[in-house]
Amino acid sequence: MVDEKRLRDEVKKTISRDDVKYVVGYEKGTYGFQATPCFAYKPEDADKFIFSPLCVHNLAVFPMLEEKPPLRKGEEPDTRKIGVVVKGCDSRAIVQIIQEKGLDREKVVIIGIPCTGVIDPKKIKDKFPGHIKNVEVKDEDDKFIITVDGKTQKIPKEELMPDKCKTCEYPTPVLYDILIGKEIKSTKKEGYDEVASFEKKSLKDRWDYWEKQFEKCIRCYACRNACPLCYCKECMVDQLNPQWVRRSVNLSENTAWNLLRAFHLAGRCIGCGQCERACPMDIPLMKLNKKIEKEIKEMFEYIPGINAEEKPLLAMFKPDDPEEFIL
Amino acid sequence: MKDKFEPNIIGFLCNWCSYAGADLAGTSRIQYPPNLKVIRVMCSGRVNPIFVINALQQGADGVLIGGCHPGDCHYERGNYLARRRMAILKKLLEYTGIDPNRVRMTWVSAAEGNKFAEVVKEVTEDIRKLGPMQHFKRENKW
Amino acid sequence: MDKMILSKSDFPKVITEIIKKNNVYAPVKNNDTIIFDQIKKPSEMNLDFCNSKVPPKKLLFHQTETLFKFTPGTKAKIESVDINENNVIFGIRPCDAKSLAILDHAFQGDFEDPYFLKRRKNTILIGLSCNKPELNCFCTSFDDSPASSKYVDILFTDIGDKYYVEIKNDKGKQLTKNISNLLKPATENDTKKRKEVEQKAINMISRHQKTEGIAYKLDKIFENPYWKKVAFKCVGCGTCTYLCPTCHCFDIQDETTLTKGARVRVWDTCMNPEYTLQASGYNPRPARTNRVRNRVYHKYNYYPKNYDVIACVGCGRCIDLCPVNIDIIDVVTRAGEVKP
Repeated sequence: MVDEKRLRDEVKKTISRDDVKYVVGYEKGTYGFQATPCFAYKPEDADKFIFSPLCVHNLAVFPMLEEKPPLRKGEEPDTRKIGVVVKGCDSRAIVQIIQEKGLDREKVVIIGIPCTGVIDPKKIKDKFPGHIKNVEVKDEDDKFIITVDGKTQKIPKEELMPDKCKTCEYPTPVLYDILIGKEIKSTKKEGYDEVASFEKKSLKDRWDYWEKQFEKCIRCYACRNACPLCYCKECMVDQLNPQWVRRSVNLSENTAWNLLRAFHLAGRCIGCGQCERACPMDIPLMKLNKKIEKEIKEMFEYIPGINAEEKPLLAMFKPDDPEEFIL
Repeated sequence: MKDKFEPNIIGFLCNWCSYAGADLAGTSRIQYPPNLKVIRVMCSGRVNPIFVINALQQGADGVLIGGCHPGDCHYERGNYLARRRMAILKKLLEYTGIDPNRVRMTWVSAAEGNKFAEVVKEVTEDIRKLGPMQHFKRENKW
Repeated sequence: MDKMILSKSDFPKVITEIIKKNNVYAPVKNNDTIIFDQIKKPSEMNLDFCNSKVPPKKLLFHQTETLFKFTPGTKAKIESVDINENNVIFGIRPCDAKSLAILDHAFQGDFEDPYFLKRRKNTILIGLSCNKPELNCFCTSFDDSPASSKYVDILFTDIGDKYYVEIKNDKGKQLTKNISNLLKPATENDTKKRKEVEQKAINMISRHQKTEGIAYKLDKIFENPYWKKVAFKCVGCGTCTYLCPTCHCFDIQDETTLTKGARVRVWDTCMNPEYTLQASGYNPRPARTNRVRNRVYHKYNYYPKNYDVIACVGCGRCIDLCPVNIDIIDVVTRAGEVKP
């Protein structure tokens, strides 16, 4: 269990600093099993902060959403820092962005929380359907203790955790300024079992599966906008001159969009699952990203989001990179 | 007698090596299949996977990327970066059910006219065996 | 209005009859998601749902609509697209049916949109009342009911082992002409049961949004810092706009090959910064605060001022699917309480 009081105290201390603009963390949602991002601009705002297994979002997307509106005459730009509350996986996103020089290390104050697993909102909604009013979730060893409208249940974590938590190798934030709690060593290993079992299918079966999935896509770009690592000023699909991906919605363009997005996250996706959670049509986007993660680990021995000093995957090369496919 | 399927292959050839090699094949009057349609780029490192996927969408049955030999890139490292990119792209296409042999890469230097012709022959025959690319072709039916 | 009873065992016969001369769209389960799709047999339908993921506006306001086709060159010609369909949408919920009436205002204003209106004229709506509204449904906040027949041509209400069928107008009567032998007049008991089902559904709706005088209240707080607080969580994903039954922003693109092309209208979202980006580079809505505020005002201020109806029907899709839990019920109720 995470010490919420300590979290609030640290946030209060951080926001009281002169050089911090705001701190973003989690607060209680408006219904059911929701937690929602919360912004603290003053020390009093820190009292709303919580951390429970319902806090599944990746807050690393917010430092990248900073807008720079045009300044009035004589006005100086606001260069204060932003504080972010991160779990293990989220911190890798920030490290990856620092590695790519998308963000300065000095621009963020990272408040890390060692995480023992969160709850997938879709799985718990299926388990507790209907009109629920009061919800409280705690975690204890390998079970979640869920109290819904007075009734308490203990459910094994394996049943409610998203897939990313089941193979989490970095429960403690990789980079942090403040750590709430003690470091946790990982007991799990990512074996890429799902990728391996999908690869047993024939080429035709694979395409049949993905064709059905890509046909569902409505090109809302929620996957792109919710992803902390999709922060291009002009996305390739918004480019009109030349237009690479048309705006009409059909299998051809949807396939192009999904494949290109997966490729552009090669070596950058840290597997937080935000895209899959944001997708309204339940397309299994993490399958594509996990496959690329597996390949780059095997081919280039590169793991995204671990070392902020490393060079990004596709910006460097090794003379002995695999080239058996080259004629 | 059924008409033989003639594949449409788009070739992105780097200006300094592969394109010159192709040029040499031409001036040496070496015969090779006419199925390759060449687009000259300054370096194989210029090839963005967006080009490859767009080519497949517009009806290409295969894509060939030609670059300089490792160590010989006119811009020092473009071919190395392209090598990494294409390796990942092929694995991704294979995972989605699109035959990775549709996207090929080759090192052809400016002196290797013969090799270029051989490469085009091999790639054309391979893609002829794979058949037309149907999976996510643009229908343009509106 | 005719009030009839149809037994559930006769129900597939009615659908089969309607399929003979119409394109019938009904809720279909596709990979665990319920969407409205065309059916050829009544067995393809799946009525075990609260509401579909994508609202049925998609059937009338297509996501990709060809406006006209053209061939360039010296012998250029333009070919307009003909829309000649007889559609029946079965299983549309009363909130989504109201949304189509709200969309009518947008497509019928200064310029009549031929594509949407032609389809609207040729589509018959058979509504299905909600027996079990979900957590985020709030149609009652707009003086509507989960069993309202106001915006449909025929309304089916599930009252146990039979359907209570209300045929509202001539369109509905014409459609059910051939199976009128399967419909029996409703007894007083049936009508009582229907009222009970409706009341039970209304009582199940637990969340309410305060909308009295909201247009007037919003007028006064346009520049209020409240909107910055609301919008700061927004990541601009656009899910709310794509799944909202009353959202109707679109973009027009030309798609061409070397020899032919077409002008196509596609859905767009005001949550994208590019939506209002002008050619000069100026963007009147540069920040998320502007865009989120604009969305709320469009639904709760501009629409009521122009057309006298709040452009929200209370379906709750945006609340269910917002990845950062921006809750429109909460946002608008609190906006009404902000001191200007």
